[in-house]
Amino acid sequence: MFRETVSLSRSFVAVDTLSVEARLVERARAQDEAAFEQIMSLYADRLYNYILRMVGNATDAEDLVQETFLRAYQGLPSFDGRASLGTWLYRIATNLCIDHQRKRARRVTTVSYSAQEDEDGETTEWDFPDLQTPNPMDAALNRELEQVVETAIANLSPKLKTVLLLYDVEELSYEEIARVLNIPMGTVKSRLNHARAQIQKQVAAYLNDAPAPTQARSMK
Amino acid sequence: MNCKRYERQLWAYVEGDLSPAQAQAFEAHLQACPHCQRQLEAAQATYRALHALPRRRAPENLSEQVRRRIAAAPARRRIDWAHWGRRIALAPALGLLAAAMWWGWQALQPSPAANTLAEDPTESLVELHEQLELADWSPSPTPSYFISTGYTR
Repeated sequence: MFRETVSLSRSFVAVDTLSVEARLVERARAQDEAAFEQIMSLYADRLYNYILRMVGNATDAEDLVQETFLRAYQGLPSFDGRASLGTWLYRIATNLCIDHQRKRARRVTTVSYSAQEDEDGETTEWDFPDLQTPNPMDAALNRELEQVVETAIANLSPKLKTVLLLYDVEELSYEEIARVLNIPMGTVKSRLNHARAQIQKQVAAYLNDAPAPTQARSMK
Repeated sequence: MNCKRYERQLWAYVEGDLSPAQAQAFEAHLQACPHCQRQLEAAQATYRALHALPRRRAPENLSEQVRRRIAAAPARRRIDWAHWGRRIALAPALGLLAAAMWWGWQALQPSPAANTLAEDPTESLVELHEQLELADWSPSPTPSYFISTGYTR
């Protein structure tokens, strides 16, 4: 009745993908530009979305995703393959995002996803074009609820936000997140619980205040 | 009502991670608890929203921009550990060779310090010998301490 069906397979790399990626890494190390292009095309969208939600600004996200790939290219000779390519790239991206947030911490206090003023003083409307709708439920999702969740994510602390995005949005496993952030798996679970609780609180407040019936309510 | 216990299981229930028995107990509690029903409703809405967040595509010119940055970035000096390993392995051998050459050179050179050390003991022994020959070895008539003290019987 209430229960959701959730796929148990949660990993951003399958075994076949690992061997393909390992070969790509080997070729890229040997200065094969096409191989590095392939690595970029595999991870560009995922890293861009992750970074975008981490920093909340499209211009910065673009710069940081470029920087992530630049660092990856420069670091290829020291990449030993113990972690998967994805884990390694998410780690680079996470470190860059955290550095970026530290630098901006004094300037930015709140983030609004409805409208943002960039550094040139121009107001940029935040819009997420629905480019891919593989699940019909996505289309039915209440736009207001989506905004509530986006704002709640933006207001999380970097530590909680990182874990929540990697688990619930990027769909990495606990183990993979532990490797990306170099923290114990128990800490990953604990941070995820805290992050979800904070978002759930905002969603509950929205559901209580929203005039019934909303689409979110009708999706039960 | 023990809502705390069920609140802890909320997300496990949403993700389908509870055992059948736990799920049954959870659902039985929900039937009687409007508070937990609302919590579950919020958790499910949160879960759906998180997993349905729209995704943006990376900028079209991303790879071109990255290539430019790679070309513009100063080349990093890579540490060639194999090269340094060979150098480090050679260092003791070179050290031994240098030490052997130094000792060989030292052995071939007449050392003034060594000569001084060789002559000094001989001279000292000769002087000592002369002093012993010149010494007055005749026996003293009375022990010197009787005179020096001025003691009379």
